[in-house]
Amino acid sequence: MNDSEKLVQLKELLLNEDRDFAHKILQKLDSLEQTIYTQEKLSEKVNPIIDEKLHTFVDEIPDKLGSVIAETLMKSQDKVVDALFPVMGKMIKKYIQQEMQILSDNINNQIQNTFSIKGLKRKFKSMFSGVSEKEIILSELNEAKIEQIFVIESGSGILIASASKEESIDEDMIAGMLTAIKSFVEDAYQKEQQNLELIQYELFEIYLQNFTSYYFAVVISGGINGVFKSNLENNLFDFASKYIKSNLENKTYITEKLNQFLKENE
Amino acid sequence: MSNTKKIVLVGHFGVGKSSLIKRFVLNEFSDNYMVTIGVHITKKVVKINNEELTLILWDIEGKDDLEKIRPAYLIGTSGFIYVIDPTRIQTYQNFHKEYNFLKTTFPKSKILSVANKMDLIDVESFQKQLNIFEIKLDFMTSAKTGETVEEVFLELGKKVI
Repeated sequence: MNDSEKLVQLKELLLNEDRDFAHKILQKLDSLEQTIYTQEKLSEKVNPIIDEKLHTFVDEIPDKLGSVIAETLMKSQDKVVDALFPVMGKMIKKYIQQEMQILSDNINNQIQNTFSIKGLKRKFKSMFSGVSEKEIILSELNEAKIEQIFVIESGSGILIASASKEESIDEDMIAGMLTAIKSFVEDAYQKEQQNLELIQYELFEIYLQNFTSYYFAVVISGGINGVFKSNLENNLFDFASKYIKSNLENKTYITEKLNQFLKENE
Repeated sequence: MSNTKKIVLVGHFGVGKSSLIKRFVLNEFSDNYMVTIGVHITKKVVKINNEELTLILWDIEGKDDLEKIRPAYLIGTSGFIYVIDPTRIQTYQNFHKEYNFLKTTFPKSKILSVANKMDLIDVESFQKQLNIFEIKLDFMTSAKTGETVEEVFLELGKKVI
């Protein structure tokens, strides 16, 4: 072995390990390059991390941004109103227009029937009462109507009889709850045995007429005026003395008469 | 038309009056305690001796003294279910006084006394406790498991029909 051969052998001995190491690094670099430049492989690695961060972000929104949003809204109330007003305004305007159209159609119908018996009656009523025909027409349009009527035992709240234009939810439970409300109010404002007379809710009023052992609850739609109330009171007193007085135990009989009463008072 | 009777559940706060009604009417139970405010009314139609009986169930808010209940809620009651909680002595330490109050104020009404929440207590030790207070209960129930709940209402139904 000459000197140059020995030198080659020495080189191989010294550098072989480094070459292997360099080769491994090159391989790793290749694989990393592939991962970075191939979208699929990169997604595989990165997506779980992004997903986890997104979940954390979503979870933290109410805590971190809730108060900020509320504060921003508070500070820029006018801007929010400005943004919503046109939308809300349009909706309300549309609704009012629709209702006005219905009202106008109804008034037109009434006026077209000027020479009908009802129309002539109205004219006479207007002449004698001094109330303008317009007002009479408007009051006719919002006429009070009995929708439902109950006869309920005082105290126990047990339903004696009921009649309704439309099918309603459980009458037994309505009777119980009405009695509970009535009992509560009368108990809370105990002043010389006063009774609750009226319950109002949006488009309906529940008129209560008390007798000793029972009471009437009359559900009314439309506008109640003094005349309607007085007529209703008279009719209920008549009904009570004619049909309930001596038949309180006969629920079927009272129910039958109550249905008749509802039809007559339509 | 079926016969209708007013049934009122009375007792201290949290003895399980609402839970008993919920178990009887809906066959449900919830561990969440929801306090009753004022009164809640439900109904159930039962058959007793082949006759239909409508029970209007008044679930009244709990009071630490039955005499404090609004009298207007109790008028016209056919049957009372007086509920106690065996895990809380304060709900039955005045048992006799409260039971007698119901009996004398509403002499025509029937009363059943019930210990609810029996799933939470050892029956024998509770019985010893009852003996000390000389209390005799009509029923021991558990609204949670449903044990003897229906029997209470049916028994009261038989008494008031």
